[in-house]
Amino acid sequence: MRLRIAIVDDEELARAVVREYLTGMPDVEVVAECANGFEAVKAVSDLQPDVLILDVQMPKLNGFEVLELVGRDVAVVFVTAYDQYAIRAFEVHAVDYLLKPFGADRLAAAIDRVRERLGRGETLPVQPLAKEGSPAPGYTPRILVRDGPRVHVLPVEKIDYVQAQDDYVCFRCEGREYLKEQTLGELETTLDPAKFVRIHRSFVLNVDRLARVELDERENRMAILGDGTRLPISRAGHARLTALLGR
Amino acid sequence: MHPILGRAGRLALYLVAWLALCVLVAGIFTRFGLDWTEALALLAPLCLVYAFVCLSAWYVSRAVPLTASGVPRVLVSSVLAAAFASGLWLGLAHAWIAVLGLTTAFAPAAERYARQLPFLFAIGVLLFLLALAVHYVLLAFEAARQAERRQLELEILTRDAELRALRAQIDPHFLYNSLNSISALTGSDAPGARRMCLLLGEFLRTTLDVRARQRIPLADELALAERYLNIEQVRFGSRLQVERRVDPDASACLVPPLLLQPLVENAVTHGIARLLEGGLIRLDISRRNGRLAIVIDNPCDAGATAVRPGGMGLDNVRNRLDAMFGRDARMDAHVEAGHFRVELLLPAGVDPDTIKDTEG
Repeated sequence: MRLRIAIVDDEELARAVVREYLTGMPDVEVVAECANGFEAVKAVSDLQPDVLILDVQMPKLNGFEVLELVGRDVAVVFVTAYDQYAIRAFEVHAVDYLLKPFGADRLAAAIDRVRERLGRGETLPVQPLAKEGSPAPGYTPRILVRDGPRVHVLPVEKIDYVQAQDDYVCFRCEGREYLKEQTLGELETTLDPAKFVRIHRSFVLNVDRLARVELDERENRMAILGDGTRLPISRAGHARLTALLGR
Repeated sequence: MHPILGRAGRLALYLVAWLALCVLVAGIFTRFGLDWTEALALLAPLCLVYAFVCLSAWYVSRAVPLTASGVPRVLVSSVLAAAFASGLWLGLAHAWIAVLGLTTAFAPAAERYARQLPFLFAIGVLLFLLALAVHYVLLAFEAARQAERRQLELEILTRDAELRALRAQIDPHFLYNSLNSISALTGSDAPGARRMCLLLGEFLRTTLDVRARQRIPLADELALAERYLNIEQVRFGSRLQVERRVDPDASACLVPPLLLQPLVENAVTHGIARLLEGGLIRLDISRRNGRLAIVIDNPCDAGATAVRPGGMGLDNVRNRLDAMFGRDARMDAHVEAGHFRVELLLPAGVDPDTIKDTEG
């Protein structure tokens, strides 16, 4: 089987050495070279490579974030000068983890492992990827949403609220809506509980956007946002909201 | 801990000294109408007890330290303490003479014993003062030893800090990435690979060299930063641009070694490396009114939250400036409109020899 490979590294020379090594290997083809994470996501979407040779430290979107966005579609081999990400790399099911500088034989071994995994027809578990792929400690400062070849970076403070829609969550952010394949419960654990509160089974609200709480004609509580949007508040949601706001 | 009671060896020596004193005083008493047996029967138990009473001189020596208290205060408190201790001793002697008087062997001496009491008081005062002197000497001795140990600890700490600075300042990842660049260049551009090896070698050598010196001319520090930037430019290519404006008057100024390099490294790793298109690092060095002003400005990712730009490298520079110049140096770092800017202001000191060179 001929492997189609995309090389992702923000350094031209680092890409060059991988390309050089791959040239000497049978049955591989470099289909794309990407200088950053955005290009990588686009390449995965447009060209559907089998393998990403992926640097970790890159501007704007790091390797883990790229993996979070595309990991289900492609086998990932990390290459980096840093050894401290190795454990996390295997937690998110990377095939291999190469430390710079590395030799052609080490890369060949990684490619063999890719073939082995693809040969077993292994499908990567979806949920663990989405969950563990997010920045490990603390609350996430931004949400990455993949929209075909494009990646949207949503700073959490700009999100008004999040709505559950079947297997997806819908982010409302600066007047636009973004869909991401994730459950609301999962998302909730990555958001700062001092800023975001689950006001309803289907809604997580950024409390900074809350203007007031009203009762509708059927005596249900409604959250009214600064822009006039009305969201339902459940009984449990109201308890969480009042606990957070200290009233 | 008591300097004598706390150590068995010293206590033994102290008691032997008291034994000698006891015999000496007994010898004196034989001149005043007592025979040796009578004198020793009186003095041996009294001296044994008084030896321990005199150990309390330690509290006096600690409460009235020689260095901190004036001479009159030391004299008055010593004499008062000695009189008090000797008074106690006198009381004991009185009781002991009474006990001896009950025995048939020493009953005849009771009258002569009583005549020694004023003399005994004087000796008690003298002995206590002697003990006090010994304690003062011991105290000074311990203090000197402690100061020596503190000095040693301080030296170890300093050495330790230097070692840590060394480790922190040559970032191993910088080396790994540079080696990776060399590895890439060997395939496509052998002269380029060699150039990179030479740059890296020079950079490492100068880094280790300048570290041994207290201060180096700014020109040397600039050359070091320049080498670092040259190496990183091989890695980052056109993403890394540098613009420098250096006042020629400034290059002779003496600065602590590795003052600029960590700041420049910072500008690359926390600034340029995190931007898709890279950017321009601006280095502006000027000298005016006896002050050296250094400004390093680089674009940074405005969207990146959390991590404070700089961190270890900046703290290290700040601490060393503090240690060297105190309030005479200032360092200011801030983010403004997508730019990270570090400003240093320090005294523009120069080596007298260098002045001659530039003026002559």
